[in-house]
Amino acid sequence: MIYLDNSATTFPKPQTVRNAVSAAMAASANPGRSGHPLSLAAARKIYSVRQTAAEFFGMENEARVLFVRNCTEGLNIALKGLLHRGDHVVVSSLEHNAVMRPLEKLSGIGVKYTKARIFAGDDDSTIDSFRRAINKDTRMIVCTHASNVWGIRLPVERLCALAHTYGLLFVLDAAQSAGVLPLSMADGYDVVCCAGHKGLYGPMGTGLMLLSEGVDPDTLTEGGTGSNSFSLVQPEDLPDRYESGTPDLSGIAGLGAGIGFVMGKGREKISSHEFSLITRLYDRLNGKRGVVLYTDRPSEEYSVPVLSFNIEGMHSEEAAAALGRNGIAVRAGLHCAPCAHEFMKTEEIGAVRISPSVFTARSEIDRTAQAVIELADQRKPKSLRL
Amino acid sequence: MGKPAIMVSSVTNALRGQKLLASHGIRAEIQRSVGKGERKGCGYSLIVAPDKSDTAVGLLIKSGIKVVGQTERGSI
Repeated sequence: MIYLDNSATTFPKPQTVRNAVSAAMAASANPGRSGHPLSLAAARKIYSVRQTAAEFFGMENEARVLFVRNCTEGLNIALKGLLHRGDHVVVSSLEHNAVMRPLEKLSGIGVKYTKARIFAGDDDSTIDSFRRAINKDTRMIVCTHASNVWGIRLPVERLCALAHTYGLLFVLDAAQSAGVLPLSMADGYDVVCCAGHKGLYGPMGTGLMLLSEGVDPDTLTEGGTGSNSFSLVQPEDLPDRYESGTPDLSGIAGLGAGIGFVMGKGREKISSHEFSLITRLYDRLNGKRGVVLYTDRPSEEYSVPVLSFNIEGMHSEEAAAALGRNGIAVRAGLHCAPCAHEFMKTEEIGAVRISPSVFTARSEIDRTAQAVIELADQRKPKSLRL
Repeated sequence: MGKPAIMVSSVTNALRGQKLLASHGIRAEIQRSVGKGERKGCGYSLIVAPDKSDTAVGLLIKSGIKVVGQTERGSI
């Protein structure tokens, strides 16, 4: 199988990640609950991953690295824990449902939001768009670092500066960018939420929420933390405040190994490899009869290595299924991001998304390009087009 | 007289504290706290040599690691 669905989750995982998960499963007890060697060893493992993540993301205080189940959970905590009735939020026109659905839920208690239009390849216009969306009630800008559908990269460093100019919080959805694009908390982000299982190569079911100093959302979950147990009030200390219940030790151990893998290989090197593949694919498909591309040629300045397309006359799911029959695994549909599809007017048929990883070979991209071109050649007549 | 046990709020703070103290040449062992009275409930302590206790507490507080109490553990 040629696996090109790495934006959903990277596959395969590095051997070091699989080893770390197995090792944690083989010798672990509940961390932070007991004083025996197995429990303390588990706590040390988790702490070491916290340290690794803090180093990778430019944080001085590892206690502000929080383990969550996925990026979505982190975003829910950030949005529901920081916003109140009457607050207004500015989002981009490319957001994932991990941002939009919590905001829709919050709209029920009087939180409002405005979508700022993105101008791909024109950061000045994008910044102006966000600036115009800010009003007297705006409390936060939250946006994706890069569209999970179109790979369009947002100028988040400038948007963060814009937010702070107006005294707003800036929350970053780094689901598609962590491990791929440069990302440091030293750049001033208030909250960054990451998937652990995508560009960080950890197991599914892992994620990170990174909090800057002084940003302490309300909690969505309270419970046992192994600390200050006589008190019925949730501890204020981090990370316990946000990490109730037994943690996913094996997942966290795997995530640590995944971050270590990225650090060892070099983020820039991985990113460069993936960009070389996605631009190669773009060049092969661009201008081919029946293949519809929606974005400019991917570039490191304005993109992440993701390419979505359609084949004239075919629903994206039909095209993906046809590629699947050729042993090529891709994702079609709306990618949990209807806003991004409305942006490109593809909400009816979705799009076929291709996303490589460090393990993708050039030959696999070439075979995929050929398969797409052949599929487009066999496309249905115009009368059957959607 | 036992060894000084510096009580901190969580295992993460115990590990942070252990790393901090080690960087200053102070060896600390992590054990579960024996919480009683006002300090009952779960937590962890850093067990240090008696002559390092005051220095250790000062370093922890200075670095933002909350010290929730001090007791003695076992006998020398």
